[in-house]
Amino acid sequence: MGRESSLRPEYQILAYVTLAKERVISSNCLCLLAKSEDEAKILTADVAKAMKADVTKLTNGDYVIIRV
Amino acid sequence: MEGAQILSTEDLSIIVGSILVGTLSRILILKEDYRQYPSYPNGYLIHMITGFVAAALGAVALPALFSKNFVAVTFLTLALQQFRDVRKMEKESLSDLEHTEYTYRGAAYIDGIAKTFESRNYIAFITSFLASITMMVLPYAIWIKLIGGFLVGFAALFLLKNFTKGKSIGDIAQVEEGTIEVKDSNLYVNGIFISNILGTENAEKLFQEEGMAVIITPNENHYRINLDNFGQRQAALFEATRALGNKRYAFTRKDYEKGRVVITLIPIKRDLDALIEAVKKCPLLESAKKSHAVLKTNLKGD
Repeated sequence: MGRESSLRPEYQILAYVTLAKERVISSNCLCLLAKSEDEAKILTADVAKAMKADVTKLTNGDYVIIRV
Repeated sequence: MEGAQILSTEDLSIIVGSILVGTLSRILILKEDYRQYPSYPNGYLIHMITGFVAAALGAVALPALFSKNFVAVTFLTLALQQFRDVRKMEKESLSDLEHTEYTYRGAAYIDGIAKTFESRNYIAFITSFLASITMMVLPYAIWIKLIGGFLVGFAALFLLKNFTKGKSIGDIAQVEEGTIEVKDSNLYVNGIFISNILGTENAEKLFQEEGMAVIITPNENHYRINLDNFGQRQAALFEATRALGNKRYAFTRKDYEKGRVVITLIPIKRDLDALIEAVKKCPLLESAKKSHAVLKTNLKGD
């Protein structure tokens, strides 16, 4: 994330990976519902690799795939 | 030289001698240091030629005035225009490269570099101008005039070089190795939170195994004004990534409590001494420099 210190970083949420169905709400980014923690990890890694993006793990265990 | 159309040998010697002094001055301060700028060999050539032009303007200004050619004063405006163009050229060139580097130089650093190149042309101009004055004023044989001009020119170069020499981060702060810690995909350096984008196991592992960090601690509290400046931190990060390369991730973060600044990255070449040296030698930007003394101004007048 070498662009962290640009004057105005433009963060873009590319995908949200979660295990809880109730957290999947309508949005303009891709929301993926995983069956297990392992599946969530794999999904996140696959999407992040494809999109050349970074991943943030939220404290509730969900993953947000972002691009700066 | 009174209204003569053809230059005398003496005048020609003075002009050529002065141009030589000015151009040599430019070459002497045209160093390719650890910042690897200007690039070799084309960048060198460009700056040598612009230095030569600056020296030529300085060298012919006085002989032209002595020949009562007062229009020659316009040479000075031409010189100013030329130097401004050098600055503009540098700025454009570096701005164009911004998206190809590991991290941004940032507008403040680019401005500083461009100003430096402009001022170095002034140095070439002034040294050749002073050399030309000395050569014209000395009432001796031409070879003594030339020696005198060279001595004055290089003395001026020495003084101007010291005058324009800026400070670096190492002059106002301590730069030491930082300890990297990754907790629950959050990155910390010496307990300072840096980022939480190490969300995958791969990213955590990569940073733990290959990450490097330095902590910049200001020597005095008021130096925080310089170090906290966004452009200054960006310049330090840029120098770190350029010295060691950047495999992935490069962050800069400031600690509000103690004023420490963290530079952390995953370098291509793992060399802690080189990282510390690169950060220490990062120049203090003119745009970030603030006068500490102004805070002590006695406004009451007692």
